[in-house]
This record gives sequence, C-alpha cells and structure tokens, in this order.
Amino acid sequence: MNELFPGLAQEIVSGVALGCIYALIALGFTLIFKATEVVNFAQGELMMVGAYVNFFFITIFLDSLGFGNWPSFILALIASIGFSVLFGVFLDFAINKPLKDEPVFSMIMATISVAIILRAVVALIAGPITLVPPSPFGNSVIRLGSVAISTLDLFIILSAVILVSIFYIIFNKTRWGLAMQATAEDPMAAGLMGIPVKKVYRNVWIFATIVATIGGVLLAPRTLLDTNMGFLGLKAFPAAVLGGFGSIPGAIVGGVILGVVETISMGTLSFHFHWIKEINDVIVWIVLILVLMIRPVGILGKEEVERV
Amino acid sequence: MKGRYEDENLKWIALLILLVLLVPFLLQGMTYSYRYYLYVLNIAGIYMILTVGLDLLSGYTGQVSLGHAGFLAIGAYSSAILVDQAGIPFGLSLILASLITGVFGLMIGFPALRISGMYLGLTTMGFGFIVRRIIIALRDWTEGSAGLAVSKPQLFGFTFNNDLHNYYLIYTFVILAVILARRIVKSKLGRAFQAIRDSGHAAQAAGINLSKYKLISFFISAIFAGLAGALFAHTMRFISTDHFDILLSIYFIIMVLVGGTSSIYGAVLGTLFIVSLDYLIVPQFKDWLSTFMSLEAGDIQSLIFGLIMFLFIIFQPTGLYGMWIKMRIYWKLFPFNPKKRFT
Repeated sequence: MNELFPGLAQEIVSGVALGCIYALIALGFTLIFKATEVVNFAQGELMMVGAYVNFFFITIFLDSLGFGNWPSFILALIASIGFSVLFGVFLDFAINKPLKDEPVFSMIMATISVAIILRAVVALIAGPITLVPPSPFGNSVIRLGSVAISTLDLFIILSAVILVSIFYIIFNKTRWGLAMQATAEDPMAAGLMGIPVKKVYRNVWIFATIVATIGGVLLAPRTLLDTNMGFLGLKAFPAAVLGGFGSIPGAIVGGVILGVVETISMGTLSFHFHWIKEINDVIVWIVLILVLMIRPVGILGKEEVERV
Repeated sequence: MKGRYEDENLKWIALLILLVLLVPFLLQGMTYSYRYYLYVLNIAGIYMILTVGLDLLSGYTGQVSLGHAGFLAIGAYSSAILVDQAGIPFGLSLILASLITGVFGLMIGFPALRISGMYLGLTTMGFGFIVRRIIIALRDWTEGSAGLAVSKPQLFGFTFNNDLHNYYLIYTFVILAVILARRIVKSKLGRAFQAIRDSGHAAQAAGINLSKYKLISFFISAIFAGLAGALFAHTMRFISTDHFDILLSIYFIIMVLVGGTSSIYGAVLGTLFIVSLDYLIVPQFKDWLSTFMSLEAGDIQSLIFGLIMFLFIIFQPTGLYGMWIKMRIYWKLFPFNPKKRFT
C-alpha cells in the first residue's frame, strides 16, 4: 500500500485543508439560501474582495505603520471583518431591499451582476498584477510521522470546523436561528408573528460576507491573490450541493469530499493513470453528478415533500 | 368551433418577417459601419435560436439549465468536424449536428428525471464544464484549446461569403425556430410541459408521463442549441473552447429571464437586448467615458455591463416582457390611466 501510493496520506491531508476552504465558501451559500432561498452567485467574489481588503490592511499595518508581525495580522483581520460587516449591510441595501417582493430569480440575477461588477471594480483598482500575500505562519510545517502539514492548513481546518459549528449552533439552538428558519419558510407569516424580517435578512447577508472574508483571508496565502480567485466560488458550488444545499454540516462534508477527491486525482491518480490528467479540473463535477444520481438531494440534504 | 391557432395574429408575423428581410438595407442606408451591426445581428440571431430552445426547457418545462453553452459547443464542433473532416455537405451536417446534440440532451435529461431546482442547475453546469474538457481532450479532431478554423457554409452550390449572406441564412432559421417553438407551445406537448412546470405531481395525476415529456423537452432544447452551434461554427468561421464557458451559459439564462420566461418572443427580445448591450451600447459608453479619463479596456467594459444589468433588474425586475405588458395596459386604458401604473 505504502509503496504503491507513497503520497496518499499527504494528499488526503492537504485535500482536507482545501476542502475546508470550499466548505467556508459553501457555508456562505448555505446561509443566504437558508434564510432567503436566493443562490448567491457573488459568494466567490465576496471572498476575493475580502482577501484584497485584508491584503490592503496588512500592507498598511505592516509596512506603513510598522507594527509587528502578529499584531498587524490580527488588526488586519479585525479591520477586514469590520469592512465586511459594512459591505454586508450595503449588499442587503443594494440587492435585498429593492428586490424582496420580486421573484427569486431576479435576485439571483442581481447577484450575478454584482459578481461581474465586483470583479471589474477590483481589477480596475488593484490592476492585473498577481499579489503574493504573506502568511502569518511563514512556511512552518508540523510533522506527524511521514505526513507534513503546514501550520496554515491546520489553522484553515480548525477555523472551518469552528465556524461551521458556530453557525450550526446559531441556526438550530438560538432565537435568531429560529427566526431565520421561520423567515425562510414564509417571510410574511414570520413578519406577522413578530419576527423582524428585515433585520434577519440583513444579518444573513452580514454573516455571509464575514464568512466569505475569513475564507478569502485564509485562502490568499495558500494560493496567490488575483481577480480570478472569485472563480473558486464556482468550485464551492458543487461542495454545497454535494453536502445538500441548505444543510450547514453538509457544507463541510461536501467540501472535504471534493477537496480530497481533487487533490488525489491531481496527485496519485494522475501519476498512475494518464487519462485522469485530462479530466483533472472537472473531476469534481463528475463526482457531483454521480452522487446526485444516487441521492438527488445531496448527502445530508432533506428530501422535500411537495404539496399538490 | 375555434381552431387551435386562431388567436394568433398572423398579420404581425408577416410584418415581422418583412422587417427582418429589410433590416440590412435599412442599416446600409443609415450608417457606414453597417457591417459591424450585421455581425452583431448575426450573433444575436444564433443566440436567439438557442434561447428559444432554452425557454422551452427552462421557461415552459421549468427545468433550469446552466449548461447550454455546452450544447452550443457540441453542435459547433460536431458540425465543423463533419463538414471539414468527414466531408459531409453543410445542409446535411446542420441536421446531423442538431441530432447529435439532441442525443446529448437526452443523456443529460436522464439524471434530470430525479433532480430538480438548484441541483439540476448545478448538474447542467457541470455538464458544460465536462463538455469543454472532453473537447480539449479529443485533440486529434478538435485541435484542443488552440481552436478550430471552419469552412464557409455552402447550400445547394451557393457559398455564403459575407455577413449579409450569413444574415439571411441565420434569420431563416430564426424565423423557423420561432414559428416551430410557438407551435410546440400551443400543442399537446407544450401544454404537457407547462403542466409539469406548474406541478409535477398534478401533471402525473392527470396522466402525463413525466419522464417521457421531460426527456422530450431536453431533446428539443438541445436540438435548437445544436442548430445554433452548427450555424455559429460556420458563420463565425472560428471556434475555440474559450468561447463556450460558463459565463456564456449564464448569459443565456439571463437573456431568457430578461425577456421574460415562458414567452417565445420574450426570449428573442431578451437576446437582442443583451447582445446589443454587450456589443453596441457598452462600447459606446466606454468611448464616451474614455474622453474623460484613461481606462483599461476589458475591465471597464464588464463593469458597465454589470452596472446596466444591475440597474435594469432593480428597476425592471419582471423583464422586458413585463414592461411590454405594462405598456399595453397603459395604452388600453389610455385616457384614464391610474397615475402609478406606468413605472
């Protein structure tokens, strides 16, 4: 086993880390979908904006103000989360307020056009250069036997698990979560029961933007930072769907499965079977279609009973 | 007894056809750059054939597809390979390419029998990605991602040399597609589609074979897309996988939605609107803006496109067709309009 697949354990570990990034983006999709039934096509772009803003703050704190390494990373993270709160409020104002009585598809189209706008604006401001964001952990790695895992990856996995559990608890155990579930079920009935529907919508957008920003901050040092980062949102789509659209634990399950499948197919499988190389970047979609043929609502999705 | 098609106002169709025939000459009389306008109209025409088919699938049957660029690609590549490498005449390859694409439509229709809504959208999106990858992998025939040069269309010994010839070729098929689609919608088939969209269970209870009609819907939609793809390959004369990306699929669904779903003319109108926005209005804006400041080309273009789209959705969420209906009500009630009707 070990002779045949020398890098397999290593690939699984870094696949889990990649999958946790997918899970963070998928979590954003899921949050907005759960409360508003809108599929937010701009989630990947929100992540990209978050990563750029964080990079901007890091350069300010680190270079211009001359703070130390750790304080500037933490301050930058806080500053970008503050920015994403404002941005979430703005998105709610721009997309949700004018369109809340219109059919869902108009809102989906609005998110698509917001995605186009965001990508163009960031490209205009930041230029076409690919940035190399610094990592707070440097290049340090932790060794477990033959498997090495970078501290950054470990941090990514931890924060994904923590965030997903936080939102799981918020959604299922708190009054706010109950309000969100009721709003998703029927906004008008929820309003009549005294739930502040507008506030619920605004909070959902804020949550989704924060999650996207954290995802972007964590991902940026792992890859490089350019405007194409938003396309990763398209890869997180199958993660959200595979786990079951609208299921919070499903986001992490789907994300990890797809992350592992992707890294293994790029590494070991491509090494042993050459034809796999051709379909490397669509293997995620092939897995998705195969799973959906067996379980049409995703792994953890609930089957909805349609009333006639 | 009233005939099935009597409520259709056929005079308008004749007028519309006449307008389509005359447009190139009107353009020629009005502007010097009419060749460019013709080129844009040709692209719009090709997309119209596709979006009419997409409207049958997504608007009438309620099966969301985010993979129609994949069908377009299959049609384009199969026709290019059939004509240039297998030596089949263009007229025959139009039919063959459409049928090949139709078979692919059936293939993606099978998983769609169990999946619905967002899950189906994602499955079709994945289909679009996979098609692109497979086209690149079949390097021997398609020259991979380098792109493929295609021969000019030839029908009955006549070669379509320039955009004017192509215009008539394309719009012949557009008119045929629109008429065919309207006939389908008004037939038993169309009523079955609409019943499935409104409620699958109720349709089944009324004796409609769900899987049969869903598959038929995918098949027809893919045939339209394949026809559009074949025309695309031969009139644009160059195809590459870069063109058939996910953004194009999303644009197609936007065209249908902007025009207003479940309306064949809506799909045509929406396509015309989005294509002219992309090729005519946005460049105009860009030129106007660049008199004030120095700009980089690609980004500002997509920025303006996104902004116009966004504002349009905010102020006209029901699309062009909804606007048209509001206008019709306005004129019907003309002297006695309620003040807030015309918004």
